[in-house]
Amino acid sequence: MERFEITQKINTIFVDVLDNEDIVITENTIANDVEEWDSLTHIQLVVAIEKYFKIRFTSKEIQSWNDVSEMITCIQEKGI
Amino acid sequence: MFNIGDVYEQSFTITSETYGHFIQLSKDRNPLHTNSEFAIEKGFKGIVMHGNILNAFLSYFIGECLPTKNVIIHSQEIQFKNPVYLNDELNFKAEIDGYYESVKSIEFKYSFRNSDSKIVAKGKIQIGLLQ
Repeated sequence: MERFEITQKINTIFVDVLDNEDIVITENTIANDVEEWDSLTHIQLVVAIEKYFKIRFTSKEIQSWNDVSEMITCIQEKGI
Repeated sequence: MFNIGDVYEQSFTITSETYGHFIQLSKDRNPLHTNSEFAIEKGFKGIVMHGNILNAFLSYFIGECLPTKNVIIHSQEIQFKNPVYLNDELNFKAEIDGYYESVKSIEFKYSFRNSDSKIVAKGKIQIGLLQ
């Protein structure tokens, strides 16, 4: 799947989980850019992403992400 | 310790003591919960127990009945399907529906059934495992 397509899917997940239709995610987005993206919603986002793409992350992988682009790279490395 | 498909079962009864404590706690004295004439007039068999007493049972289940105390509730949802009456015996069943090692999170789907095996409430709970 192309990166822009993964970004679009992730955006849909963020809108749904964070219950904010105005959210626009880019590869450069970090948690501080999104008001509702806190430690608790981060867990719900990861769970929703794992469910949607039918993949599993490790805690090490998640801790290594600094922005959405690293999340997307990780998703692609799972064969998506 | 936790695996998808693991099932937990527990019996609960809303006793008059539990009912009284919940009214003290919540201050919810709506006539549906406190006036049998009112409740019967609305089509119920008698006063209807507060649905949120079941949420307290969920709290007990997560806090006290799992194989570890290192747990915290992240979210829970509940749908009320049928009324619960005083002293109804409820069979609670929860099954692990998802386990997300990456974020140490577990999802349960659960139901409460009355003695007629009717589902009175069901829903999902997401918990976190504390380090």
